Amino acid sequence: MSPFAAVYRVETRKLLAQTRVRALLLFLLVVPWIYIGLILHQDRLPLETLYGRYLKDTGFATPLAILVYASQWVLPLIAALLAGDVFSSEDQLGTLKTILTRSVGRTAVFWGKLAAVFSFTVLAIVIVAVSATLAGVITVGNDPLVDVGGHLRSASSAAGLVAISWATVVLPTLAFGAIAMMVSILTRSSVLGVIVPVVIGLVMQLYTFLNAWDTVRHLLLGWTMSAWRGVMDSPSYYTPLARGLVVSAVYLVVATTVAFVVFRRRDVAGG
Amino acid sequence: MTAQTTHTAGAGGSDVAEDPVPVVRAVGLVKRYGDLAAVDGVDLTVPAGAVYGLLGPNGAGKTTFMRILFGLIRPDEGRIELFGRSELAGRVEALEDVAGFVETPRFYPYMSARANLEALATLDRRVSADRIPELLEQVELTDRARSKVGEFSYGMVQRLGVAAALMRSPRLLVLDEPTNGLDPAGIRDMRALISRLASTGITVLLSSHNMLEVEEVCGHVAIMRRGRLAFDGSMAELRAMAQDVEYRLVTGDDARAADVCRGAPGVSNVRTATDGIRLDSRPGPVEALTARLGAMGIGIRQLELPITALETLFFRLTEGDAAGEAAAA
Repeated sequence: MSPFAAVYRVETRKLLAQTRVRALLLFLLVVPWIYIGLILHQDRLPLETLYGRYLKDTGFATPLAILVYASQWVLPLIAALLAGDVFSSEDQLGTLKTILTRSVGRTAVFWGKLAAVFSFTVLAIVIVAVSATLAGVITVGNDPLVDVGGHLRSASSAAGLVAISWATVVLPTLAFGAIAMMVSILTRSSVLGVIVPVVIGLVMQLYTFLNAWDTVRHLLLGWTMSAWRGVMDSPSYYTPLARGLVVSAVYLVVATTVAFVVFRRRDVAGG
Repeated sequence: MTAQTTHTAGAGGSDVAEDPVPVVRAVGLVKRYGDLAAVDGVDLTVPAGAVYGLLGPNGAGKTTFMRILFGLIRPDEGRIELFGRSELAGRVEALEDVAGFVETPRFYPYMSARANLEALATLDRRVSADRIPELLEQVELTDRARSKVGEFSYGMVQRLGVAAALMRSPRLLVLDEPTNGLDPAGIRDMRALISRLASTGITVLLSSHNMLEVEEVCGHVAIMRRGRLAFDGSMAELRAMAQDVEYRLVTGDDARAADVCRGAPGVSNVRTATDGIRLDSRPGPVEALTARLGAMGIGIRQLELPITALETLFFRLTEGDAAGEAAAA
């Protein structure tokens, strides 16, 4: 087993052993069912939310309406909760020295932890997307979906669009995770590791609401989180999505590089 | 001191065989935190098979030295070699055959003792988890194997730390204050465990601020003071230096007795205190002194050694002036 694989295995086991992580995954599994259950038991629909008006017409509207909420602050929060203390918790528990005195180097520790946290982040996104789709289809049905351009999409086409829409938020969510990890390494604080990325996400989201420079808006992760709307249009357009993925990749690479360099060089003096 | 010749290790130690490659060799090691030199030009050689005590008061630089040894922090100057391998700087190869802990051993509190050891075995890759039951038995934690470490007492965590270290089948075991925070029974058991391990040929580098502990367990000792080595040699060499011992004397007339003490041959550093007279001397002069006090009609109520000869020397080395330090080195 390579050092990377060893760290990855241990980290996934540690994440699964944490009540906080298990509770988060369970929450993501259950919350779409609660959401659609509440919608079906009230007369009003969230008309201001994209696909909110179709929630009682087709089950495919459920994962898309939830994606609107999720992309605003839930996904950055999930990323931050998983990645924001993956290093700082080791600092607080004093266990970093325990790991680093075994047969794995800092490089393997860093990439193994990163891979484990990103795996769980993707797993969290998959859980909420699949759960929301199942909740919608089972409780409302799999009727065709009206896309953003007003065209009716068949059930199979709608399912594909839902999958693609959720897939487009994976990279920006991982970018938020990388920022959380970087902050947790720089500050050695789990609190800041969780809060800072969420605040950054909210500030970026606020900026997108302002009538300000478009160039800046297009360079924000909050903007890339909503680029999936182009996929739902007819005809579909992909320029915002492509640009958003590049922007997300840049955030991801820069934050990961800073985190890696600092982690490699720093003294482990606590605990 | 470079102890690469055959000699008797002394109390708690084993005979050290000739070995051209020392287990630990530190050369000109310096680590600064701002203006403070936590480790200041330390040269240290630990021969194979030794039980080596790194002794000093809190803040002397022992833990910083051990952190450098494990590659957890980088020295500003100098280098350290383990089994002749340099380039520590966190490299996995440099820590082959080395295990132990710095300060309190730390584990994941939300995982069981067994799960923690399994995780560490995975990180060690070549280590088999099959040994875990045997190791837990060795440190008397078999009954708590499935308990979460968060529920463990300090002493249990210390013992689990030893098990985690032994899992690597090390040739060098590094233990930082292993009896810290243990109750008397825990201290006794830990010392017995260290002696037992040393008898199997493992080299043990043990840090402590307790002279008695080092005296009991170690054959070699390095005494640190403010980042520097104040002494480095065998326990026999240290004992040879520790001739004058501090005595406490309580008499029927301490004022007169103190004057007699000051004029007595072989007695020095006489000072009076509320609990009697304190003086530095050796058994022969003290015997003569007590006879003289008796002849002068001064009754002796109490004569005791508040601290041992080695402790006296330890305090002199770690609290004394630079001249005394240089003389000792």
